[in-house]
Amino acid sequence: MPRFFIHHVTKYTYPEPVRDSANQIMLYPVKDENQEVQSQRITITGEPFVEQFRDYYGNEVGSFMHISPHTQLRIDSNMVVITKPIKFPTDEIAIEQQWDHLIQIGNVVPYIDFLKQEFFNALPEVKQIADAGFYKSVSVFVAVQQLNTYVYDNFDYIKGITSVETTLDEIWKLRAGVCQDFAHMLLVMLRLLNIPARYVSGYVCPHDNDLRGEGATHAWVEAYIPFYGWLGLDPTNNCVVNDRHVRLAIGRNFSDCSPVKGSYKGVARQTLEVGVSVSGEDGPGPRPDSSVLTTQVVTGKLEDGAGDDNSYRRHLQMVQQQQ
Amino acid sequence: MPVINVPKLIFMQTSELMQSYLVDSNTWDEMYSDSSVRDHYRNAVEFLEKLSIEDLNKREEFAKRLFMSQGVTFTVYSSGEGIEKIFPFDIIPRIITSAEWDYIEKGIKQRLKALNLFLKDIYSNQFILKDGVIPAAMIYSCPHYLREMHNFPVPYDIYVHISGIDLIRNNDGSFYILEDNLRTPSGVSYMLENREITKRIFPYLLPQSNVRSVTEYPTILHRNLVSLSPRQIKNPTIVLLTPGIYNSAYFEHTTLARLMGVELVEGSDLVVDNHKVYMKTTSGLQQVDVIYRRVDDEFLDPLVFDPGSMLGVAGIMSAYRKGNVAIVNAVGNGVADDKAVYTFVPAMIRYYLNEEPLLQNVPTYQLGKDEEREHVFNNIGEMVIKKTNESGGYGMLMGSAATAEEIDQYKAEVLKNPRQFIAQPIISLSTVPCYMDGKLKPRRVDLRPYALCGPDGIEIVPGGLTRVALREGSLIVNSSQGGGSKDTWVLAQ
Amino acid sequence: MTPLWGAGGPEGLLNMLSRVADSLYWMSRYMERTEGILRMLKINYASSQDDTQEFSWKPVLKIFTFLEEEEANALAHDTRAVLQFMVTGKDNPNSVLNIITLARENGRSVQDHITKEMWQCINDFYHNIRQDKLADLFQHEDPITLLDNLIKQGLLYFGTTDVTMARGEGNSFINIGKFLERAIQSTDILDVKFSDMNYEMDKTTDTTYWKYFLMSIAGYELYLKTYRGGFEAKNVVEQIVLNEQFPRSVIYSINQLHRYFERVKHEHNKTDFNQIDFMIGKIKSKVKFSTSDSIVAEGLHLFLNETKKGLFDIGDKLNHNYFAYA
Repeated sequence: MPRFFIHHVTKYTYPEPVRDSANQIMLYPVKDENQEVQSQRITITGEPFVEQFRDYYGNEVGSFMHISPHTQLRIDSNMVVITKPIKFPTDEIAIEQQWDHLIQIGNVVPYIDFLKQEFFNALPEVKQIADAGFYKSVSVFVAVQQLNTYVYDNFDYIKGITSVETTLDEIWKLRAGVCQDFAHMLLVMLRLLNIPARYVSGYVCPHDNDLRGEGATHAWVEAYIPFYGWLGLDPTNNCVVNDRHVRLAIGRNFSDCSPVKGSYKGVARQTLEVGVSVSGEDGPGPRPDSSVLTTQVVTGKLEDGAGDDNSYRRHLQMVQQQQ
Repeated sequence: MPVINVPKLIFMQTSELMQSYLVDSNTWDEMYSDSSVRDHYRNAVEFLEKLSIEDLNKREEFAKRLFMSQGVTFTVYSSGEGIEKIFPFDIIPRIITSAEWDYIEKGIKQRLKALNLFLKDIYSNQFILKDGVIPAAMIYSCPHYLREMHNFPVPYDIYVHISGIDLIRNNDGSFYILEDNLRTPSGVSYMLENREITKRIFPYLLPQSNVRSVTEYPTILHRNLVSLSPRQIKNPTIVLLTPGIYNSAYFEHTTLARLMGVELVEGSDLVVDNHKVYMKTTSGLQQVDVIYRRVDDEFLDPLVFDPGSMLGVAGIMSAYRKGNVAIVNAVGNGVADDKAVYTFVPAMIRYYLNEEPLLQNVPTYQLGKDEEREHVFNNIGEMVIKKTNESGGYGMLMGSAATAEEIDQYKAEVLKNPRQFIAQPIISLSTVPCYMDGKLKPRRVDLRPYALCGPDGIEIVPGGLTRVALREGSLIVNSSQGGGSKDTWVLAQ
Repeated sequence: MTPLWGAGGPEGLLNMLSRVADSLYWMSRYMERTEGILRMLKINYASSQDDTQEFSWKPVLKIFTFLEEEEANALAHDTRAVLQFMVTGKDNPNSVLNIITLARENGRSVQDHITKEMWQCINDFYHNIRQDKLADLFQHEDPITLLDNLIKQGLLYFGTTDVTMARGEGNSFINIGKFLERAIQSTDILDVKFSDMNYEMDKTTDTTYWKYFLMSIAGYELYLKTYRGGFEAKNVVEQIVLNEQFPRSVIYSINQLHRYFERVKHEHNKTDFNQIDFMIGKIKSKVKFSTSDSIVAEGLHLFLNETKKGLFDIGDKLNHNYFAYA
């Protein structure tokens, strides 16, 4: 049973003091029969009280505020997590029966939420691939692995060309991106085959740099396998998830699982740096604050205190007020 | 109770005021029945007939002036400039008998009870889905079903503190429910202001006519808001959260804040610290206990909903979840007044209350269902099609009035996302007399009574907003579509 | 920024929202500015009818508009055009129309903090000034009558405020705005008038010049009663800066500003209060202990400029310490 020491830093820096900040974090590893959290310590600039609750999908969420003026907000999460090897599906039930079962649960909570695919322009094109026919001739367990490989083979892993704002159409056109783009694409394909599929955020714990997704939070997918349950698939690494992935949250897509999000008043310019370091039982022990921080692309969607001099924002406010 | 002696025989048709009042035989007229004035209209008609046309014109002018100078206006913005408009007011009151009112009141209370239980259920156990009374897909495809509200405790399990359910009257004389407004229903200030104007333009008429008062509304609302305060203190801080002065209902927000003596705040006045809401005052932060918000769900908390919102308060949902502040109406009510979910309200009444609905729904087709959509498309000339998540008369198609081209365009729009549309047969709304250029003319109306739900139960002030389609022959009463309003009288027994 | 007390504050009184205080203050400043502009226009119009030489509106345009030199020159001799521009000009951010609109927007957002009567005054004023025909009337009708009507509407607001507004914090902020605006205006007017004559105190301009100037700030009669020996620039300075009985004097305005500011002191904002209290005190004693001679010796322009800067600083600090809510 592998044991991991994980250190995850999120750091926002502002050129001028900002205030009235409210934030939400989804940084608490899932606790279930496959994953045990031995300890976790979260420290935040200003030491605010963090209120915890469980969201609709069962994730633990924390919320906190920091209203006095500040030029930096840093969140450090240190944890020790034990993962257990997964028992994979035995795939004994007749293929047809498996696909029939998926039809039966299509309109049932909670699966209903993980089947709905929002429309985007390239959807018909993607549908053609999913509909190619052979997927439904094999078992669901085999089909999901084939699709997983399809995404891995057809998309290039390139950092920095996409962000959380990148649309499915853009990813499809680029045929490239990072883990969350790979995950979103696989979600679409699975859902088109009527296989309930959910987004997972978490950490990947590589042996010898053998897995992509280090240094930041990782993302992958869970597909619902009939008569078995949810099975993790990592299209970025072309593997079925076993005990080297640590799960933080599940949801319909990235925005249900966003590890850290916040809102504040003040200047729109901000710098976000994120770092994740993972060390195994046999590797070097936990080294607090040792994570290498990488600057992330952030788009400023926030309350701008200086809105009075900006006629576009003033106009926007007028329009919103008319609701 | 004063007894009013009204001479029984008046030949209405001969008077100048009434001579062109032609009632459509296929329509219920609130004043006329079999070419004679209904009893409950007699007193008012007699009063009006004693006045000269000049006199009536003068009073109409006076009413307009009062609205303008008191700022009872809404602003229409075009090319960056605001134009002040008054919501057209017709001086002739709409009158409802006490028996009619009793029935309406019972029907609305029954409906609200069921709707509130539905909201509690849908955001917790979902029994109604498990029992297959409502298909889960119906709920889960509704954009206003907020998963954030799941297992979220709201004070006293009350979701719908304030509702403005729209009723119409069909040609058989019975009232039907047109739509349930359970989010931030507006218009109650017009109920109050219209009454004040009637007092000014027709002195003595109200006390003579045995009309029930509506002035209790702000008092009841304020009492309910106080009762929701999480802190058990003598003077909890209650605020009314407005989107701001550019909102078309801003006048209403001001009026209600003033009548209740509560603070009118904008999102920028509030801040959340340590899961409590505070307002920024000249001497620091002051904790807020209850928020009557007139800001829509999606703008309420940029952290949880639309991150681009400039009207909300970041972190407010967190304070709400923790029970440190009460929010009125509850968040997430949109799932219950969705126009497709509307078709299931009678089923909800049977399911939760084990009662038969007192007030019927208008027959409604769901365009998400193939066979119903086909029926609607084949009979589109007799149908009105609406978007399930819109209100205020936006995004609808009147089959009888649309051109072939408009119909084709609309059909294409429907086919993109059929779930988001419903259709109803065009109902011939009842008519009431309106004062038009020296004559009374029949015009179509609906009725929106305002119900207030507090820990002690549901109360409905006897009255409401009567909206009237001022254009001849029009069936659309929305203010955005050329509608006006009237004072609404509920008579005491 | 820590929570202060439970509901309702001391004795159950609500604290005033910063935004509300801000809006009351600006509503009041705009109403005061309107009054100043209208009076100025009226008297200058009268003066323009009295002038043997061609009358120039340039000083007025300099005080009350943001026009460039050339634009002001182009307009300076067209009386009707100036009146239109100053009263109903949509493109002039300081036209009465635009200022009343701002006053009303501020008033509208705090309707529940002013009396219904005050709101109706401002609202009526707004609807009146927005009439399309008004611009036309200024082209063809007697401007004095038109301006008098508008001035009366302003006076109705001032009177109504005085009679109906409760003497609470809201009233204090209304008066703070009013007297700060007035002090700035009086300083400004004086500065522009004297810059006309290069601040040369003994340069005697004709009697009409001073007469109309004093009339434009309603100080003519008081001047005649105070000074018997005709017009002297130094006396004019003395009255407008130092006369504590003259309601438009700088010292009177500052005294009133101080008086109303003292009332917005709270248990909980001592530091914020003390900062501004000190600033007002400083400027007050500077003016109070000046004489017309010491001002002339110091240099009128310098004196006025410093005073104005002090007043602006007070405005900024109020914004920071009391109204910061954005």
